[in-house]
Amino acid sequence: MKYFLSLLLSLPLTVGLAQKNHTLSGLVKDLDNGETLIGATILAPALNLGASSNEYGFFSIALPAEDTVEVVISYVGYQPKSWQFFLRADTVIQAGLSTGVQLEQVVVQANSYREQLSSTEMSVEAVTTREAKLLPVLLGESDILKTIQLKPGIPSGSEGTTGLFVRGGSSDQNLIVLDEAIVYNPNHLFGFFSTFNTDAVKDLKIYKGGFPAQYGGRLSSAIDVKLKEGNNQKFSGSGGIGLIASRLTLEGPIQKGRSSFIVSGRRTYVDIFTRAVNRANVDKEDYTQIPGYFFYDLNTKVNFDLGKKDRLFVSGYFGRDVFSVDDDFFDFNFDWGNATGTARWNHVFSPRLFANTTFTYSDYQYNITNRITGFSFRVGSNIRDANLKSDFYYEPNNQHTIRFGANAAYHQFTVGRLKAGSDDGIISFSAGQDFDGLELGLYFSDEFDVSERFSLNAGLRLSGFQNDSTFYAGLEPRLAARYTLSDRLALKGCYARMYQYLHLVSSAGVALPTDVWYPSTRRVKPQRSDQFALGLSYLLGEQFLLSWETYYKFLDNQLQFVDGAQLFVNDQLEEEFAIGQGEAYGLEFSIEKKQGRLTGWIGYTLALIQLKNFETLLPDGRFAQESEGFGPFSPIYDRRHDLSVVALFEISRRLTATATFVYGSGDLRWLAPGRFTFQDIYGASFEAVVPDYQSRNNYRLPPYHRLDLGLVLRFFPKWGESDLAFSVVNAYDRRNTFFIYLEPEYKEVDGGDGNQISIPTRIAAKQVSLFPILPSVTWNFKF
Amino acid sequence: MKKIVILFSTAGLIALLFSCNLEKEVDIALPDYNSRYVVECYLEPGKPITLLLTRSAPYFEPFPELNQDFLSKLLVDSAEVSINYNGVDISLENQLIINPLTSKVYNYYSSVIVPFDTIRPFELSITTQDGQTISATTNLLPIVPIDSVVVQFAEEDTLARVLTYITDNPAQHNYYRRTLHESSLDSTAVQDFSVDDRFAEGVLVFGTGFNYAEGDTLIMTIFHIDKPYYDFLESLTGAVGANGNPFAQPSPILSNLEGTAGAIGIFTGLSYDRLMIVVRR
Repeated sequence: MKYFLSLLLSLPLTVGLAQKNHTLSGLVKDLDNGETLIGATILAPALNLGASSNEYGFFSIALPAEDTVEVVISYVGYQPKSWQFFLRADTVIQAGLSTGVQLEQVVVQANSYREQLSSTEMSVEAVTTREAKLLPVLLGESDILKTIQLKPGIPSGSEGTTGLFVRGGSSDQNLIVLDEAIVYNPNHLFGFFSTFNTDAVKDLKIYKGGFPAQYGGRLSSAIDVKLKEGNNQKFSGSGGIGLIASRLTLEGPIQKGRSSFIVSGRRTYVDIFTRAVNRANVDKEDYTQIPGYFFYDLNTKVNFDLGKKDRLFVSGYFGRDVFSVDDDFFDFNFDWGNATGTARWNHVFSPRLFANTTFTYSDYQYNITNRITGFSFRVGSNIRDANLKSDFYYEPNNQHTIRFGANAAYHQFTVGRLKAGSDDGIISFSAGQDFDGLELGLYFSDEFDVSERFSLNAGLRLSGFQNDSTFYAGLEPRLAARYTLSDRLALKGCYARMYQYLHLVSSAGVALPTDVWYPSTRRVKPQRSDQFALGLSYLLGEQFLLSWETYYKFLDNQLQFVDGAQLFVNDQLEEEFAIGQGEAYGLEFSIEKKQGRLTGWIGYTLALIQLKNFETLLPDGRFAQESEGFGPFSPIYDRRHDLSVVALFEISRRLTATATFVYGSGDLRWLAPGRFTFQDIYGASFEAVVPDYQSRNNYRLPPYHRLDLGLVLRFFPKWGESDLAFSVVNAYDRRNTFFIYLEPEYKEVDGGDGNQISIPTRIAAKQVSLFPILPSVTWNFKF
Repeated sequence: MKKIVILFSTAGLIALLFSCNLEKEVDIALPDYNSRYVVECYLEPGKPITLLLTRSAPYFEPFPELNQDFLSKLLVDSAEVSINYNGVDISLENQLIINPLTSKVYNYYSSVIVPFDTIRPFELSITTQDGQTISATTNLLPIVPIDSVVVQFAEEDTLARVLTYITDNPAQHNYYRRTLHESSLDSTAVQDFSVDDRFAEGVLVFGTGFNYAEGDTLIMTIFHIDKPYYDFLESLTGAVGANGNPFAQPSPILSNLEGTAGAIGIFTGLSYDRLMIVVRR
């Protein structure tokens, strides 16, 4: 706090010192399509001064006045470009970089190693859309969220799912923002695919720790996904046809060089075939309909340059999963999905002060409707937000990069809205709860180069949440530091406190679209985490970056369901909650190669997470200590060892081969170690085998490992580019465990009076896997 | 383009060919398990007191062979079992009772008839041969009568649905178990579930689909149950349902038994109203 105050007081002085210089500022863009480039390096080599473009492509660097200075702007995959400046005043430029002759190696975003070494940022991972498109994926559907799971510290959920469990955090503790609007459920098809269409995504960055002060509201990660802005130079398109889905993206200038649009859509089409099969069998008496399922996404964005100082962006996302069964007796529909909208205004107040003001809208909902001969049933939940935020980016001089801002988000929750009854209204009942809440945030941070070797990023976030008469506030200090031990070795450390005011009420099983978001209330306190991390980065030659990080995270007010909880149709859901604490710690190691024909990385994580000290909320508001069986325990996603190896090899201009290998300790499952026989009352069925569940998550599944192979064959027809992407997921046909169940086997014996009765003879453990070896091919095109 | 179609079809076919045999039997080592006593005792007014005392077993322990020792291996004998009611200890004899009408088995029995008393509690006390204790207390609840049963035929159809009405006291938090049998109580119940009354608004209606033809016999039973029995039944359903369903929340058994034995099971009263009807237009 002392540092924070002294920083504020020193600002006028540092601004005053900056008067001998003029400021060069502006945007770094791709010359070919006008997209802003995030993280480009701006360097004045003779002065040993540098800066990088921020997430909006904006940079600012103070240079000596009235002196000839060479400035080089570079970005991985693009031709570096240099300019000579003789600044008589503050100058604003738009620097364009071209991919030039390296067209086939275009990467959308990447940091140079030097930049990574000199940054205070740690516990950050990024993947490029290039990597996401090249790497082999399930059924050929490239998925940037799945690709990020190959990075250390981000083990995936169960087989094939996109659930993210960052450094021991649960899947609801990830702040996932798409063009700054929160995406509450990033999954399609129960997590097998993510909602992000790689064709429309420009950049994805994930913070696992060391959270900058502008991020808040979740404990474990911030995943920032930015959509492309659209080509403002020429009309172009891209797309693909895969085994289960097709996609198409169109983009182009509205007014050349000044404004552009992008529209991107994707839809699966398995339902078209299942519908045809159902139609062909409609007359067969014993035929059971195949349920219909499809999902679709639509992304749109327009942006306008409103002069040198202003840019306006409007973007939106709408996606739905639809599952249905429709026959004469049973009419079942289940749909879920997100809708987001963003209106963003970038304004350059001065060469040193840049502002981004955003209004976002987010909606996530699920609806289930069911009709069975005269009865209908409708249940659903949703969360809806409107968020206004302003972020300021101020560079008083080359030593300080100051960020400050504020946001206010209004949340509406509908929890378990149920309406059921007969068509004539004789039987009717309804349930559900509505809540609303106001979440506030105010932050300030300064990235401060104390010396050439030592830099700090210190920040403070003040957050708050109002629900009815309950108000919570939290002070969230953030600190990250970098000390350069040599020009190849940097030591980094960080601390972050985070508050989370929303809770995802999720069963102990696999994450479902029906999991419900629940606000902090008088009795359900906000979640809190304190995370410390320490790391080393070492540049090995010019090709390899080695990183090592260790972390410790304390979690408070973690929510679990009590034993035997009533999850559905419950207006007193809080009575089913148990609140506890957790600790996570681990070690992450990675070696990365980003340049050359062979690129990729190896990541390894050793991790441990334990939840404990759970207390139950009683109806009168007090807490009761839970029974011994409740804890301490590890969540199902506690993965002790996690290894990933990713390799991309460019054999020729036409051919790229890729491979990923993952190995992880098996997830935990809650299995019953015992069983008993339950006779029940007269008139009820005899249960020969009832599982006797005891300690939670008491069984570790066998280790998970899988090799995926891919081959991308490129073509260069006159109209543009295309490729055939072949992939073989699970190349050696490993049957990884999705779940295990214990099944009694019965035999029929004579029970007297001619009745046959079933008696159990043995118990068999059955393992269910999701994927065998899965080859696929996708045709992608670009014009 | 034709080549691309052939390529996609072939890849799809290969994917389908491999998409089988995703379930297999495996050997697993479950955590150690200490066998527990299991108690089932239902006090039914007007009937003698019966109790079933068994033991749970490690999941993979072999089931007893179906021979003359079958029951003796399942049942736990030689325990001291008594129920205290109105200050009097009623001792239950260790005696095998097989009710041929209900096909239910009990190994502790007293000829004392359970009185219909909703005021005074019944207190169960068990001391097993190894000195462990099991205790529980319960009360009989008032019967909640079935107000009416309505048979409704669908328009232009020969099938009917059956609605069962009860009046719920909104001043209390009540729990019910509903069973519906076709023809006889020996058949498998077509409906058997527990509900609480939080959405009842004074009247509870239990319905069926349009499944019944003229002449069908239906037996409707409404048990008025207490919260421990409701929790026990729900946890039992949850435990059975979670085995094999990766999307379900497993549930330990919520039992109303106390004592040093750490037993599981239920000691409760059965207060119910039952009605048999023949579907008529």
